[in-house]
Amino acid sequence: MMRRANSPDLVSRRRPVMTAVALTCAALLAGGALQAQTIARAEALWKARDYDGANGEFKALVAAQPKNADYRVRWGDLFYERFNPADAQKLYEEALELNPKQARALLGIARIIADQFGGKADEAAQKALEADPKLYEAHELMARIALEDDNPKKATEQADAALAINPDALEAISIHAAMDLLADKQSTWLPKIGSRGVGYETVAHFYVINRRYEEGIELYRKAIAVAPDLYSAHSQLGINLMRLGREEEALKELEFAYENHFRDAQTVNSLRLMESYSKFDTFHYPNFILRFNKKEAAVLKPYFEIEMTRVLETYDKKYQTKLKTPVQIEVYPDHEDFAVRTMGMPGLGALGVTFNSVIAMDSPSGRPPGTFHWASTLWHEMSHVYVLNITNERVPRWFTEGLAVHEETAAAPDWGDRVTPEILAAMRDKKLLPVAEIDRGFVHPTYEAQVIVSYFEAGRICDYIGQRWGEQKLLDMIHEFAKNRPTVDVIREQLGMEPEAFDMDFMAALDKELGKAVAGFGDWTKQIREIAALAKDGKSDEVIEKGKAVEAIYPDYVEAGNVYSFVADACLAKGDKTCAMEELGRYSKIGGRDPERVKQLAKLQDEASRKKEAAATLQRLTYIYPQDAELHERLGALSLENGDPASAVREYRALIGMNPIDQAGAHYNLARALKANGRNDEAREEAVASLEAAPNFRPAQKILLELSGDGKN
Amino acid sequence: MRCTKTLLPILLCAAALNAPAATYVLTVAGLGGEPDYEQRFTGLATETDKILRTGQTDRVVETLKGADATKAKMEAVLAKFAASARPADAFVLMMIGHGTYDGVEYKFNLPGPDVSAKELATLLNKIPAGRQLVVNMTSCSGGSVEALKKDNRVIVTATKSGTEKNATVFARYWVEALRDPAADVDKNETISALEAFNYAQKKTAEFYTEQKRIATEHPQIDEQQRASAFALLRFGSAAAVVTDPAKRALITKKEEIEGKIDELKYQKSLLAPDDYKKQLTALLLELSKLQDQIDK
Repeated sequence: MMRRANSPDLVSRRRPVMTAVALTCAALLAGGALQAQTIARAEALWKARDYDGANGEFKALVAAQPKNADYRVRWGDLFYERFNPADAQKLYEEALELNPKQARALLGIARIIADQFGGKADEAAQKALEADPKLYEAHELMARIALEDDNPKKATEQADAALAINPDALEAISIHAAMDLLADKQSTWLPKIGSRGVGYETVAHFYVINRRYEEGIELYRKAIAVAPDLYSAHSQLGINLMRLGREEEALKELEFAYENHFRDAQTVNSLRLMESYSKFDTFHYPNFILRFNKKEAAVLKPYFEIEMTRVLETYDKKYQTKLKTPVQIEVYPDHEDFAVRTMGMPGLGALGVTFNSVIAMDSPSGRPPGTFHWASTLWHEMSHVYVLNITNERVPRWFTEGLAVHEETAAAPDWGDRVTPEILAAMRDKKLLPVAEIDRGFVHPTYEAQVIVSYFEAGRICDYIGQRWGEQKLLDMIHEFAKNRPTVDVIREQLGMEPEAFDMDFMAALDKELGKAVAGFGDWTKQIREIAALAKDGKSDEVIEKGKAVEAIYPDYVEAGNVYSFVADACLAKGDKTCAMEELGRYSKIGGRDPERVKQLAKLQDEASRKKEAAATLQRLTYIYPQDAELHERLGALSLENGDPASAVREYRALIGMNPIDQAGAHYNLARALKANGRNDEAREEAVASLEAAPNFRPAQKILLELSGDGKN
Repeated sequence: MRCTKTLLPILLCAAALNAPAATYVLTVAGLGGEPDYEQRFTGLATETDKILRTGQTDRVVETLKGADATKAKMEAVLAKFAASARPADAFVLMMIGHGTYDGVEYKFNLPGPDVSAKELATLLNKIPAGRQLVVNMTSCSGGSVEALKKDNRVIVTATKSGTEKNATVFARYWVEALRDPAADVDKNETISALEAFNYAQKKTAEFYTEQKRIATEHPQIDEQQRASAFALLRFGSAAAVVTDPAKRALITKKEEIEGKIDELKYQKSLLAPDDYKKQLTALLLELSKLQDQIDK
């Protein structure tokens, strides 16, 4: 991977290394022969891959020459190469304290920031160039950052600047090759990489971050073919094969890298993740594959089956295509396992991630209850599968993400993310990006919430296009992007307007929708505090009156301390259950997801004999936190009462899948639901299962007798 | 409530449940230290008191909370119980609150002087009740087990050792077990100490999993078999059925079948699944029919 200078491919590193050695040795000649021998030895050990030995030499050298910034930089470079950016950064900073103009220290810091897709990497590289205008690697780094931002013009300028200093600058050559290949053009730059494996790794990296995994894999293979000991390429090949579900070969490559001491976090964590696959169950269907952790497969499987069937039917029609290969969905209860899948990838990737036809996502149990809508995430990722499939992975990040966000609320208005205070603040501060530059907000965010803001903005842009030009226009745009055309051209041709004019119209529409919330946000915050104080003092009437007014300013706020909860509690304090039910109904409809509040609403509806509404309320909760035994028990009972025994069977099966304390009760209820469905043989089995747990359980005894005819066995 | 897997202990167990004996219960909510804990502990003790005073009349219930939960008052109640309880009776002590453990000695935090596990053991040993249950739901409660151990005493603690020092949530779920029919897993309308423990233990574990927090308490029980025979709470018609002499023969037959079911379940892993299911279904049908006759 080009970002990380962690490859032991000495061919590619020879020039900077030897330049540094030469400089350092020259500096040391004045200082004495002993130190010169030591730095030479440190570099020699490093070259021979004796990293511990080299580390020891650098340590001694820095102790002997504490004022020498160059030694610290080289020591930092060693740490950086050996997967320890934290210590590397510390050494670079120490070097800069000794010499604020130490260009390689500044470059080292820029690389570390760039590795994390930090927004300040370009600025840091610029500082390195100011310190040493001949530092062509800084131009290369800026070229890479620009290309990651989908800014080929700047990438070309920076790569050319690097080549003007060093005509054989490998990364600059590779970036030129990557730009050609990403544009589906023959590249005259590619042959110039020759037998330098790192160059192919760089190109592969760009394929991967543009979701063109197959082509990335081919380039990693090429890197390995010319440099078999390029272990970083073996590792990346393994990781990307794993992403596409080709586990056997992935494991081989990852183990090869590991055994050869290439043990960065991605390699180690990917191997750990693959080891954990033995804890998973895989279920095959004609059009999809589901993989769950064994401990929660029984609960999640029925719900995922339903949603996968529904989403495939919907998207087949909507995108007017059928997927050629089954989609694999992997659901991870341990967020860290899921996070391994997204390591080294730009963007948020916090809930789900799509790799062509493989989706990895958090399980609802991997997140605190109420903070994650798994069905919304599933539909989001499935949209990527279709869009990547139609475009052959040639689609800008903003558009595929925006469309996926658009699909969440198209599936159901209460799905998807609500407008957060960070988004309102970004709108207030005019931080939304023009459509032509929005990709930057995903890849190299310049402020903390920018990735979230970019998802929101891209989603709203797709909503806006859908509303103004019709949903078909979004499909037309997908097909245009499939031709590998840039955003500005697609906007111009498909929407018949300049991108700048589109931005103006879109912002005006957004202002119409959210202007009130943006303008009133400061006052809203103040009033929420006042309502909290009134609630504490038990002033229910005032809470209700003031709360309803505040609700209108920023109705999307449903997180902790939301006004709906204050008002509902005040209603209940007054004994007005109808008022509480209406308020919580609004909370749920707008997307409130606190399981306790949603269950409270269902209970109020149940008590008011609004059984069907109560069932629908709980049904909504199965998309949010299905790992709740009480939810399934109540929904099962309501389904039976509502004459919907098929749903009752599903709910009681889910309950049994959770290994409830009351096994007898759960099996008995399932027996009742099955009996109501006319599935008497299965019902009898469940009655026996109930009585196995509690032989004297009278209701189960009665159902067993009923299902056994005259009672004779 | 499940008694045991062999016939003889089942009969003994049934006898223990059937004996017309009293149960002496003391619930103590210790010092909260801050309003939130104070309110929580007192609330749990109040709720327990209310549950225990409902229905059954064979129970002597005392509850100490707030300023009343002192060492002196605890000693007084326990001395009163020691004077009136008989060997056929049962005794239950439930402790809610904070505890401390210095590596040697466990102490239950009370307004005024604390009471140590050793002091408690001395007080409890004076109570002649033949079956005893101590439910220590405080932080560090695991540190009290050694001092409280006695042959006829089941000990439940919220933590596995004295070193688990964080405030516990186990008490919340123990009290919930007393009012949730789901805790009665064998559906015999009696919640045993083991059923309440299993319920509270599972809910406690789920609490930490859901909250994405590292579990800082690991509940323990020392005598599962005896705990399964320790009836904490009866509801419904359970008591009435077992004391009806007219149906003694049927009840004896029923107990025999229950014994056979337990034996069969014990051998489950040794039998072919179909064979096991067939035998189990036959026994369950027989038991169901018999219960029909008893009900008539």
